[in-house]
Amino acid sequence: MTSEQRAQAFTDATKAKGDALIEVSDVDKFFGDFQALKNINLRVGLQEVVVVIGPSGSGKSTLIRCINRLEKHDRGSIVVDGIELTDDIKNIQEVRRETGMVFQQFNLFPHLTVIDNITLAPRQVRRLPKMEAEEEAMKLLERVGIPEQARKYPGQLSGGQQQRVAIARSLAMRPKVMLFDEVTSALDPEMIKEVLDVMVELAKGGMTMIVVTHEMGFARAVAHRVMFMADGKIVEVGTPEHFFTNPQEERTKLFLSQIL
Amino acid sequence: MTAGSPSIASGSLTGWVKRSLFKNWWSGLITIVLLPIVLLAGYRAFLFFFVNGQWDAVTRNLTLFMQGTFPRAQQWRLTAQILAFALAFGMAAGTSRASARDRAQEAGLPFHEETARATLARMWSLVGFIALLLYFATIDETGNPFNPFLLVGSAVVIAIIGFQAKRMPRRIRNLGWLLTAVLLLLGFQVVSGFGADDWIPMGLILGIAAYAVTPTPFAGALPRVVTRLVAAVVVAFTVRFVYSAVDQPGIGWDEWSGLHLTLMVSAISIILAFPVGLLLALGRRSSLPALRIMSTAYIELIRGVPLITLLFMGQFVLQQLLPQGTDLSRVTRAIAAITLFTAAYVAEIVRGGLQALPKGQTEAAQALGLSPAKTTRLIVLPQALRAVIPAMVGQFISLFKDSSLLTIIGITEFLGVREIAHAQADFRGVSIAETLVFVAIGYWAFSFAMSRESQRLERRLRVSR
Repeated sequence: MTSEQRAQAFTDATKAKGDALIEVSDVDKFFGDFQALKNINLRVGLQEVVVVIGPSGSGKSTLIRCINRLEKHDRGSIVVDGIELTDDIKNIQEVRRETGMVFQQFNLFPHLTVIDNITLAPRQVRRLPKMEAEEEAMKLLERVGIPEQARKYPGQLSGGQQQRVAIARSLAMRPKVMLFDEVTSALDPEMIKEVLDVMVELAKGGMTMIVVTHEMGFARAVAHRVMFMADGKIVEVGTPEHFFTNPQEERTKLFLSQIL
Repeated sequence: MTAGSPSIASGSLTGWVKRSLFKNWWSGLITIVLLPIVLLAGYRAFLFFFVNGQWDAVTRNLTLFMQGTFPRAQQWRLTAQILAFALAFGMAAGTSRASARDRAQEAGLPFHEETARATLARMWSLVGFIALLLYFATIDETGNPFNPFLLVGSAVVIAIIGFQAKRMPRRIRNLGWLLTAVLLLLGFQVVSGFGADDWIPMGLILGIAAYAVTPTPFAGALPRVVTRLVAAVVVAFTVRFVYSAVDQPGIGWDEWSGLHLTLMVSAISIILAFPVGLLLALGRRSSLPALRIMSTAYIELIRGVPLITLLFMGQFVLQQLLPQGTDLSRVTRAIAAITLFTAAYVAEIVRGGLQALPKGQTEAAQALGLSPAKTTRLIVLPQALRAVIPAMVGQFISLFKDSSLLTIIGITEFLGVREIAHAQADFRGVSIAETLVFVAIGYWAFSFAMSRESQRLERRLRVSR
């Protein structure tokens, strides 16, 4: 079985069972006259890790920001865990509750301590009592390896530590899927590994993930599928093996030759 | 000729002179030109303050400047107010000190308790002004119906007692803030009176407190809100009942004057203008067009009109806009005008803070599933308001100084009582400069203290970043 067929098989499997966690169909997105996404189709199955690569401006970030409605798509449909994203604020809130997102710039709340950053949403949205929320938060901080920083403010932490807090903050909402938007791009090189390690652990634990990244090592090690985007279109999809050994499209080959 | 030689000891006077006044040729030139002017001005100021100035227009009218024509028979009310405020300020300082200490400890940062001396140094303009008042009081005591030293002394002692709120355990920390609010209101009402109709502010404060602390066994959001609302309403009505049982009218603020009135009008206008401005700023950024257009229109209308015009309109036009039969007092109308004016500026300041907030903050809050209202309340506003503290305090300092415009509409606040002093036979047409300078020093002392306090607040809140 070629790697392409395997990737196809994975897609078919999720299709066949009908339990695709995320289903993006025929999505277009415009910023004014500029078309950021062109007819995007993507299904992500339960526990699948999809890595999205591509040059800057190719629409990778826009795509995952559409999945939790930080951006509104103009055409097509996006369904997350059976809930379609419409203008209905209730649907949007429900989808956001089930998708965690980690940003390039961490976006921690600087006026709250680490533990308050993590417990905020569980207490406000999931209505957990304070004690319970803090217990859970401490467990998450242990999982990302920095329980001793709980009472500090984000400004007192290194970039890598901040990004790990951001991951813990998203996990505290117990999301079904995690979206990662170039989470290591703003980090000093020596801190990238500590964040990637956390993400690898997450993937091994069976979390469904869509990861926009330039870390090809991560893609090779963890991804079930790699997706290459350029100019708002999905150019090529396949297993990591297929991708890094035998890419088909000229555009993909050019990109890989530039970054590898 | 460049920088002073490094051998100069940094502490010595000659060293300081060389470094600061004659650093290089042009700084030396500026010094030579300016020094005589400064010295001459200093000499003239010295003559004015200590030799030629006729300060008895101030010293003999000290009580007049402080409280104006407030009925002397009701003096005890002002004394009680000062003591209540002293307790409230002490308590607020103690409570905020304690929570700052807790925050620092939790974050593992060092916390240096401020010494009493540092506190005095920080508030030096106010301390100096009070010292000046006490000094003037010793020169001529005929006009003083009470012993100013006793008053200041007991206020300090009471403030220190209030400051012990810093020892309150963390669990009941918010009690310190509640008591502060209640004390401030009691201090206000001991003058304005506890009439049957005056229950609303107290009902509001205690009602909100009841809403916040009422424990509820229910899990759902609606039953919880309902239980708490019931508790709040019960408390508010109890307050109302108590007030109608007490029903002791006091001295309405149309009879207040002097520095007392200036401080009260400013404080009340600040307290009212802040929330109104905040709502206007949020309204101007709202996605609802009606709200946005109305807020924008209000802000732009008010900002295009001078305050003095609004004050006159408050006296002559406001009455016609309100329903027939409502008869607002003159000071109330003035406070309304100042509040509406300042709110428009506060709104623009807050809007600046909102715009400066990185977009990622709201996106992160949204991505976590926080509702728009909670995102604003918990993420956006706390950060935006911190960012605009200096501008906001600047606006409040303006308000404080602009309250002197009340003189023009015939309300005798701090500046206005001068006219009463100069209507006296002894001071008709004399010592004009002295009374003006005294009033200016008074305004400056409070404005400068506010400005220093804002710097400190800014520093303290930045620690957490």
